[in-house]
Amino acid sequence: MTDSSRCSDLSLSVVLAVLLTVLPVRVSGQQTVWDLPQYKETVSCTSVMAGNMIARDTYLSASRYDGWAVGFENDRWTGYRPYRLFCYGRSYSTLLFSPMNNRNGGGSTLGLGGAYHHAFLWPAISCSMCDLLIGPAVMTDFDVFYNQQNSNNPVNGSGYLAGGVSVDNTFRFRVLRYNMALQASLYLPLAGVGFAPDYDQPYYFMYKDSEYGRALHFVTPFNNKAITHQVALVLPFRGNRFRIGYSIDYYSNRLGGHSRNIGSGMLTIGCAFRYQSKEWAL
Amino acid sequence: MNSKTRNRIFVIAATAMMLITIGCSWNEEKKDLEYSDTPQGNFMALWKIMDERYCFFDLKKERLGVDWSEVRDRYAASISDGMSDRALFEVLCGMIGELRDGHVNLVSSYDYGRNWAWKTDYPANYSKDIRDRYLGDDYIIAGNGYYYRVLDDNIGYLVVESFGSATSSGRLNVMFNNMALCNGLIIDIRDNGGGDLRAAEFLASHFTEKTVTVGYYCYKNGPGHNDFSRLYRNELSPARYDLRWIKPVVLLTNRGCFSSANDFAFTMKSFENVTLMGDTTGGGGGMPMSSELPNGWVVRFSSAPSFDADMNHVEFGIAPDIRLDMDDDDIKAGKDTYIERARKFINDKLVNP
Repeated sequence: MTDSSRCSDLSLSVVLAVLLTVLPVRVSGQQTVWDLPQYKETVSCTSVMAGNMIARDTYLSASRYDGWAVGFENDRWTGYRPYRLFCYGRSYSTLLFSPMNNRNGGGSTLGLGGAYHHAFLWPAISCSMCDLLIGPAVMTDFDVFYNQQNSNNPVNGSGYLAGGVSVDNTFRFRVLRYNMALQASLYLPLAGVGFAPDYDQPYYFMYKDSEYGRALHFVTPFNNKAITHQVALVLPFRGNRFRIGYSIDYYSNRLGGHSRNIGSGMLTIGCAFRYQSKEWAL
Repeated sequence: MNSKTRNRIFVIAATAMMLITIGCSWNEEKKDLEYSDTPQGNFMALWKIMDERYCFFDLKKERLGVDWSEVRDRYAASISDGMSDRALFEVLCGMIGELRDGHVNLVSSYDYGRNWAWKTDYPANYSKDIRDRYLGDDYIIAGNGYYYRVLDDNIGYLVVESFGSATSSGRLNVMFNNMALCNGLIIDIRDNGGGDLRAAEFLASHFTEKTVTVGYYCYKNGPGHNDFSRLYRNELSPARYDLRWIKPVVLLTNRGCFSSANDFAFTMKSFENVTLMGDTTGGGGGMPMSSELPNGWVVRFSSAPSFDADMNHVEFGIAPDIRLDMDDDDIKAGKDTYIERARKFINDKLVNP
């Protein structure tokens, strides 16, 4: 990753972090296009995504690949019993596919990435203007690449299952006579288990000897950094609620001696539904 | 301090901590930075990739006197900013060619850089035209590159041109049925440049009745020249549900046997009923991996070394049990010295088991 792209990534992070902190207290607005679900209620939004993906996996190639990407996203909020500390749950899952090229156009890689995050959220601030929710989250993320330049070891995968924190902010405002909502989310894994081959361990040996143990690593933010940002605008349209958003996912790890830097920026568009759900056991 | 202010302070502090973590996440280590797409950048990228991932530096130093740092210094003098792509390709191929490894290649859109001295510096000991006379026109095709027939003296003759793909259990069963009354089998893998290791293991598993330790292997588990995993035992189990060949086998090898064919040779050498005949194999005892230079050229290199059952490196080939060279008089007469000697060997074994 070059200095300039690293700098722009960092700037984007700063902007989103400011959105998370400043917006709830500075902008005035009012009610209700996106309210938190009540007990037994679920708010679900399924979206299609299109954007671009960048990947560099030194197990496969020292070069950086990028290309367009498409995928699906499902975002589901559930209301737990109101007297609980973490009285909301949020499940966020994505599946992405991207055909990528190296910068010389001399090689191509197919990338498949997926994630599932479930957060238990505590309403730190909840008012008519905004909801700021914080809580622990369980996250899993995987990426598989097929490098077509690479004849002998064309496929590599990496991923993790970790516990971490989640921050979600929904800010409600009004433009003309339309109520709208702006959402910003951030997921950050802190500790868990990650998968990546032990340096140049061939997958054939891993399979032949069932030697998967060496491909499992304890992950912390020092060797496995993953962040999901999401900013979304909820718009009412003829009785329905559409959500248009931009989702940024960065996953960077250094497991087993090789490094992986994977990023995607995706425009999402979907429809949100609110419905009664069965009582959760939680 | 009221509760609203406390909430705000808490939120701001939590977000600030996240911001710091976010910033750190893009602060990649310097060693992960890519080299620039310049002659110097590509040269250093290639040297570094090889330095950290190639598995035979100590062996090549011991046997060929290759000092990788000295190689860098020597070839760096040939790199200049204004040099053409072709000139750069030539210099880079020269540098990796010092390793004399068939699994070390540099691939551009217009050439495949290699050093095949392991094969070309030695007699071919093989003529496809002459071999084809033994196969005749009515040989049976048992897969892509697998041909066989029964020779006149009731000896089976199987040619395996490549391990690019495996044959199937069904085809091998038919072949062994067709050869059920044969006195022995000649397997000719001369000039077999390898392919899929699993294809070689699959075929070999039809020539043993018990699980055999055929060798060992390890892999690079770090960037140091001596960073290797523990040794793994390479055991081959018999193909349990297929017909298996337990009569005498002669395996014909030459310097053109490389990579998976080399593995097949040392695997077969572990079996009691198999005799290797011919020339030393070409080697290629390191499972290859690949990477890329900043300009998109692909570099391939040996990454996981193999050893035979006695823990000897197999990178420089497998010596035959019976050393042979093609005889000029035989060639003139249209005869294959290897095949003739193998037939005689099997027929002699019938008389003196």
